[in-house]
Amino acid sequence: MTLLAEGLRIQEWLSDPALAEMLRPVVITGLAIAVLCAPLSLLVVLKRLAFIGQGISHAAFGGWGVASILAGASASGGVLVYVGDFAASTRGQLAIVFALCLLAALIISWLTHSKGSAKSRSLEPDTAIGVVLVASMALGAVLNRLAANPRPWESFLFGSIAECGPEDAYVALIAVGAVLLVLLVARRGLTFWAFDEPASRAFGVNGRLMSALLMVLLALATVVSMRLVGVVPATALLVLPGATALRLTRRWGPAIAWSIVVALLGVILGLFASLELDLLPGSSIVLALTVLFAIAPLVARVTKARA
Amino acid sequence: MSYRGVTFTYRGPGGDADRPALENITLDVREGERLGVLGPNGGGKSTLLKLTLGLLSGHSGEIRVFGLPPEQARRRRLVGYVPQRNEAELRFPLSVRQVVTMGATVGMMPWSVPSAQHCQAIDEAMRAVGVDILATRPIGDLSGGQLQRVMIARALASRPRILVLDEPTVGVDPAGQQQFAELLGTLHARFGLTMIIVSHDLRTIAAGCDRVACLSRTLHSHTGPEGLTPRVLAEVFRHDVAAIFGDIHVDAHAAATCHDPSHSHSSPATPVVTPTISATRPGGPRA
Repeated sequence: MTLLAEGLRIQEWLSDPALAEMLRPVVITGLAIAVLCAPLSLLVVLKRLAFIGQGISHAAFGGWGVASILAGASASGGVLVYVGDFAASTRGQLAIVFALCLLAALIISWLTHSKGSAKSRSLEPDTAIGVVLVASMALGAVLNRLAANPRPWESFLFGSIAECGPEDAYVALIAVGAVLLVLLVARRGLTFWAFDEPASRAFGVNGRLMSALLMVLLALATVVSMRLVGVVPATALLVLPGATALRLTRRWGPAIAWSIVVALLGVILGLFASLELDLLPGSSIVLALTVLFAIAPLVARVTKARA
Repeated sequence: MSYRGVTFTYRGPGGDADRPALENITLDVREGERLGVLGPNGGGKSTLLKLTLGLLSGHSGEIRVFGLPPEQARRRRLVGYVPQRNEAELRFPLSVRQVVTMGATVGMMPWSVPSAQHCQAIDEAMRAVGVDILATRPIGDLSGGQLQRVMIARALASRPRILVLDEPTVGVDPAGQQQFAELLGTLHARFGLTMIIVSHDLRTIAAGCDRVACLSRTLHSHTGPEGLTPRVLAEVFRHDVAAIFGDIHVDAHAAATCHDPSHSHSSPATPVVTPTISATRPGGPRA
């Protein structure tokens, strides 16, 4: 933050070895979360799950609150010292927030997909998400208030370049590898389920597994994105690349490629603007992605005319 | 295929534990036969379909598909399924060929690529239903009838021995229904498939099936289409049959024929039962 307050420009960041060293994990994390979120965003848009992304990301508030409370537990002594130290560490925070996001995702999935014929018991997705979203936020606010050392919300909400270190880059790279591997292994079942869920079961696809799998991947993407871009804009990375890609093409392969290109462009432009104009990275990345979404029809028209 | 004393009750808050959805169904379907399952909404047609596909468990009695329990038959891809067409996400940027390919490759190992045999099955399925010329078209650009053919091709691409069709003519106009019946006849002749066609639409059932099972929780009758007398239909639908299916006339042999001035011809394949739905059909709920 101090560095940003001094108003450094991109050339200075790149020319100074020490600053370039600081910038490297930021760029790696940014590019990694772009590749991580892009293919998932296509499924989110096509399965009409954009609001579910909101529900999952806002569950991070609850995780943040739980981590704040547990971090204060170390003062109690005994085994709680270890718990408190874990909750105070970056890994601990990420693990707790991921657990809460995952729990929220599975609760939403459970509320909207009741077993067997008990359709009357299941909720419409918007209702289930509305319940989980506000409950998570309220839990986070209450627990953070009750914590011995309440934490500031700003970087949590909209991300921070200063707080993004090498550990975040490693986590993001591992998460990208894991998500792409899972998508590769489950691609046939996942695509069939997403395209035609009612029929997919009759073709041997385990719909519950596919739904849970997608929820886990969304929770993972949200948590990994959170450190750099913040909780709220993380949702945008799970919607805008896919929505933009679908404005550019009506083919499956090119749509995946376009969503990755758009996400990478959005992150690069957003980080550049963040450094140059001293903006919060999350909001500048979202704005960059929104501009790309807005000009996509124009690009589609130009490329079609050339073809 | 055989059903022996099959009873199924939905459990949980959405089900009625005292009233089975299906009760004591005993039925045989011969290999290569086209069976129509006719009945009112809520009569257990979809439940029978799900049991046949192995998607529901907890029934009493016995179901065998080529001698196997339904779950095993499904895993061995013996049963092809054609759903109601309006349930897929048609905004997906998939081509017709990609959708048909799903049917052939969905159970494959992640590292496997479609073999020449798979490609041949996909091509054959698309040709059989006449969508090979649409192979590169986006799925969202198709008409209702074209989409239905693609879904049939997707089911055929796995080379099943039984084809199960769920309400295949919902929203299809009379001309489309006639074309659909002809398509089923062509597929039956070409692949020798056993077919189960679940519908509440009398025209579809009468025009494209060898035998008809009338289902309204219990099995009311299991006969050829000529057995679909107004009395049987009234018993199954528990309603004034003319109000449901149009202006029905009974001939000297007590078989049902329906008369619609705008469609006065009779199909040679179904000389006895040629029901048509009149344009002035009441819009109220079916019995």
